[in-house]
Amino acid sequence: MGISNRERFLAICRFERPGDLSLLTPYINDFWPETLELWVKQGAPEHILDSRFRRAYFQFEHIRILREIKLGIYSDRRLDIGGAAYVYETPPIVPLYQPSLISEDEHTITLINEGGQKVRVFKDSPQKMPMFLDHPVKDRASWEEYKKRLDPDTPERWPSDWDAYVQKMNSRDEPTMLNVGSFFGFLREWMGLESLLYMFYDDPNLIEEMMDQICYLETESIKRVVKNVRVDSAMFWEDMAFKTGPLISPDMFRKFMMPRYRQVTDMLRSSGVDVIFVDSDGNLNELIPLWIECGINSFWPLECAAANDAVALRKKFGRNTILGGNIDKRALLKGKNAIREEIMSKVPLLLESGGYFPSVDHFVPPDVTWENYRYFINSLREVAGLSKLPE
Amino acid sequence: MESCLGAISRAVEVGNAKQVVKTVKEALTTGVAPLDILERGLVPGIQALGKLFKDGQAYLPEIFISCRAMDRGIEELKPYLAGTNIHNKGTVVLGTVEGDLHDIGKKLVRLMLESNGFRVEDLGVDVSADSFVSAAHEHSANIVGMSTLLTITMPYMSKVINALEQAGLRHKVKIMIGGAPVTREFADEIAAEGFAEDCVSAVDEATRLMKL
Repeated sequence: MGISNRERFLAICRFERPGDLSLLTPYINDFWPETLELWVKQGAPEHILDSRFRRAYFQFEHIRILREIKLGIYSDRRLDIGGAAYVYETPPIVPLYQPSLISEDEHTITLINEGGQKVRVFKDSPQKMPMFLDHPVKDRASWEEYKKRLDPDTPERWPSDWDAYVQKMNSRDEPTMLNVGSFFGFLREWMGLESLLYMFYDDPNLIEEMMDQICYLETESIKRVVKNVRVDSAMFWEDMAFKTGPLISPDMFRKFMMPRYRQVTDMLRSSGVDVIFVDSDGNLNELIPLWIECGINSFWPLECAAANDAVALRKKFGRNTILGGNIDKRALLKGKNAIREEIMSKVPLLLESGGYFPSVDHFVPPDVTWENYRYFINSLREVAGLSKLPE
Repeated sequence: MESCLGAISRAVEVGNAKQVVKTVKEALTTGVAPLDILERGLVPGIQALGKLFKDGQAYLPEIFISCRAMDRGIEELKPYLAGTNIHNKGTVVLGTVEGDLHDIGKKLVRLMLESNGFRVEDLGVDVSADSFVSAAHEHSANIVGMSTLLTITMPYMSKVINALEQAGLRHKVKIMIGGAPVTREFADEIAAEGFAEDCVSAVDEATRLMKL
């Protein structure tokens, strides 16, 4: 009897399947919507727009994100703008805000999205990250109001037929991932980066209170989930670094975030969830040791432009870290030689060492051609001794 | 006087805006020249913070609060500095290129450049080549600074450079670029003289470009 997808995922995470190529999706191997639309124009099958078809076509492995439980941040809300979709992230607030149009000019639309953010979006390319103009939390008073949307017991946070949901999730032959939110990332979504960074100095107690509420929401919810649902991995989303380093100091991280992370990861680990992943863009070199200290052991996307080096991380941290991504998206813009060079410089070593899920170092942008992406996937398959994708 | 100026520097460095206002007022009361307060008090404070950032001992929150403190100090000094050009290191026209709405990196660059004596004309985000050209002409810019977060808008930087060339302004300005996917190699490729990885190195790079 063959190994199940779930067992395979966990075995890779435990470094038990060196050389095994597992291209996880969604999230790890994922795309800007515009990229897929352009690929159709470049000759890709039209069905490539459909996630199920795409998964089968590229032979991706599906990880079942437990998105029906409103606990993390998801990029699955969309508003129609001139026939194209503005896809945006929403934190786990219940209820969501009512979206509304504020104004528009020749090129852009300004609106309030369901996360309560006022944003400016390009009409002809709403998929691009918008400009954030205003945020729902500004001070203590607005926080008190906002906080009402973060109650773990709100029924709408949970699937309406919990027993049926549990049965469905537990009967699947695929790994599951529980999105367990964010400490820095949520606060940035709620306040905006600049206001948040000032607030660390201007009202640190408010930061502590907000993070406490997140911790309460997460731990109360995790308790309920792990009691019934088979959870194979958990994911934090932070995006708390820029090109050369973290957005806040390690001291601030230790003071504000570490104790709360530990509460969450202790609960996960005591329930048998020991693959705990964090998604953060930017240069993570100072943050990774801190996250490891917090009980987090998996990192993606390890952006190359921000000086992340998965090979160096593997050498430094060995089996303490499960790695994902770190294949430079800029190589996929340059052409086949650059793609091959990029892959050969790191993937063979990482795959052989185990605990590695290959992907481009973030979602595939629209300037990567269909031909180059197919070449990229085929090159990965070649490294793993697999045949090329069918034409 | 030195201890008075040192106290101002220290207050800027740690981002204590109230303390900056207090110490600037005290310095003025005791007869310290306003220009000395600026150049030997406030500016060394922000420079010290820049050094801490480069050494990995300060991060973005500290940049924000120090720039705010510096700004408050300058506000106190303004009535006494009328007619004095306090942003005399050079003029930078700054913007995020067309097709990109990212703001925060550029804003940090503006704050640090202004705090370090540059005059900055911030054109905002989604800035067209024509707008860069007009602003460079109108403000007699020494430097055109461009930012982008996206690989797909990186080629637009080249378009701006071409537009400056066509407008006959290229020889009058130096180009400085930055942003998440941007590298020194890319800067060389598009013949931009300057490249900065962050807001503090942008000050060093702009200073270097002014000497070319």
